[in-house]
Amino acid sequence: MRILVVEDEKKVASFIKKGLEEENYAVDIAYDGEEGLVLAEINEYDLVLLDIMLPKLDGMEVLRRIRGNGSGVPILMLTAKDAVEDIVSGLDSGSDDYLTKPFSFAELLARVRALLRRKTKEKTDFLTIGDLILSTSTHRVKRGGKEIELTAKEYALLEYLMRNPNRILTRTLITEHVWDYHFDPSTNVIDVYVNYLRKKIDQGFEKKLIHTIRGSGYMIKDEP
Amino acid sequence: MIFRNIRFKLTLWYIVILGIILTSFSTFLYLTLSRSLYNGIDVKIKSIAEVIASSSTNPYSQYSFSSLDRMLKDSFSLRPVTKFIQVLDESGRIGKKSDNLQNFQLPISIRALKNASQGSITFETTKAFGKYPLRMVTVPVIQGRRVINIVQVATSLEEVEEALKTLLLILWITVPSALGFASLGGLFLANKALKPVDEITKTARMITSSSLNQRIKLKKTKDEIGRLAETFNDMISRLGRSFKQIRQFSADASHELRTPLTILKGEIEVGLRRRRRPEEYRKILDSNLEEVNHMTQIVDDLLFLSKADMGEIHLKKNRINLTGLISEVGTQVKVIAMAKNIRVHISNDSGVAVIGDRLRLRELLLNLVDNGVKYTPEGGEMRISVERDDGRVKLCVLDNGIGIAPEDQPHIFDRFFRVDKARSREAGGSGLGLSICKWIVEAHGGEISVESGVGKGSIFTVTLPLAPPDEGTG
Repeated sequence: MRILVVEDEKKVASFIKKGLEEENYAVDIAYDGEEGLVLAEINEYDLVLLDIMLPKLDGMEVLRRIRGNGSGVPILMLTAKDAVEDIVSGLDSGSDDYLTKPFSFAELLARVRALLRRKTKEKTDFLTIGDLILSTSTHRVKRGGKEIELTAKEYALLEYLMRNPNRILTRTLITEHVWDYHFDPSTNVIDVYVNYLRKKIDQGFEKKLIHTIRGSGYMIKDEP
Repeated sequence: MIFRNIRFKLTLWYIVILGIILTSFSTFLYLTLSRSLYNGIDVKIKSIAEVIASSSTNPYSQYSFSSLDRMLKDSFSLRPVTKFIQVLDESGRIGKKSDNLQNFQLPISIRALKNASQGSITFETTKAFGKYPLRMVTVPVIQGRRVINIVQVATSLEEVEEALKTLLLILWITVPSALGFASLGGLFLANKALKPVDEITKTARMITSSSLNQRIKLKKTKDEIGRLAETFNDMISRLGRSFKQIRQFSADASHELRTPLTILKGEIEVGLRRRRRPEEYRKILDSNLEEVNHMTQIVDDLLFLSKADMGEIHLKKNRINLTGLISEVGTQVKVIAMAKNIRVHISNDSGVAVIGDRLRLRELLLNLVDNGVKYTPEGGEMRISVERDDGRVKLCVLDNGIGIAPEDQPHIFDRFFRVDKARSREAGGSGLGLSICKWIVEAHGGEISVESGVGKGSIFTVTLPLAPPDEGTG
């Protein structure tokens, strides 16, 4: 899951990035409103964390323009002000949630999970495909009641696949949602990671969940 | 309760004073009138008695009343009917008396008789007959040192007493009713005069810290009440302004403190989410310390400014050799500037002194210079100069840094104003440095100003009053 953090305060942006990455999210940072808007336009993010007081382009304006472009990406506003008007005008302009600074990081993570869940229509922190279960809050994965150990990147890849079941996911899409902008798309890293995942998830099971769609990409599905 | 009411107090005072005036006037009127009436009677009866006395030089036995009547008619043109006349011999036996006395006779007191025998006149008030007292004069008729006859003339005091009684009655009616009307009028006037005061009270009661935009609505008059309302409105405006400032200031202050708090909380929370290597903890703690230091700076600066606002900062004023101070600060600054490869030039007019607080002036200089270093890129230049200028000291801190946009220049001395929020914070500023500079300069009776061009640099100019020439060290 790829998240854009638009925050001008370097240290705030830095700890958010660090904390989110440790939760297996791919994180990009923009230090001002203009940069944030550009990144939001060229990349497909699963969530945007947006500060209100930003240099060059105010967070409220960034929000309006993102929504003006027809993007429905979940947006979580971060604000130093707890002024009701700001919150109301933010929510009215299309933000999905807000947090006032200083915030608890655990709460930020919970809200991020809740916003990401909206798209998948899940009501809990669990994603399931057949007998494969993934907990987005504890990051534990089980298949047939057996715990599976995954690396951070493998987990991130599996989470993305499981959030989009029965859908062909191209390498580009996977790149955009699992890796941050430092990723070099000319490598075959994605295929390598998909193979790692296959070994851990499908090996020893009769029913394969991860499928290769020749010439297009990958798909996770329960049906044969 | 009612006496706490100013309109009743006013009316009461008014009535008391008016009452005193009316009562003394009435008393005076009554006394003067009664005296003049009594005097008039005395004069009249005495003149009648003297006329009679002058014509009755014979013993009373030869006295003829018909001639007396005629004589009185001659003297007073008509016979005074209301006057009772009686002539006695020297021993007090009654001789003749006027007809109107009929069977009555005028009494003669021992005192009057004694006085008469010594040749002097006696006035008496006596109640001889009838309802009213009589006023009577006893005049001796002297011929060759001997009292031959005594003439008594008396008149009833009926008219006088009646007149005085009527006057008294009139006064008893008019004075209280005048006071009554006056009190109604006074109350009305007081009401009319004090109505705007009620208006003011009503508005004042409605005003709270959140409704300081209310004003007293009064017709524009230049009288006392008009001025009061105007003063009151001015006061509310001033209160409104300072409330707004305080609100803005606390909002800004909490915002300033919120950023380091967010960083502290976030870094610590993320740090604690998993087991880390010692170097990682060290990095987190270093960053935390930086934020704590930054917060300390903000709190110190805030405390300084709020103390300054309350007038709790007292300058220890001494003669300060500015030249020396600048050399001292300059040495310190060169060390900081060296790290950024900034050259610092100091042109110092020797022997310039001001009266001021050494510690604060040092702080001022350091703040200005530090600011210059912060906003001057690597390899830049700074200049500090001090010179005499028309009885004042002109101190300039010049840099060739990033400069300040014209629209920002009027605000740079405002509290928490930042041209570039992130940049200033990274440089460790509290956003209060220039506000503190401004306060220090103004507390020394000086002025601070800035000239700047974006990309060209800034000149901060401080002018301070020059210290009077010193006979000592200078």
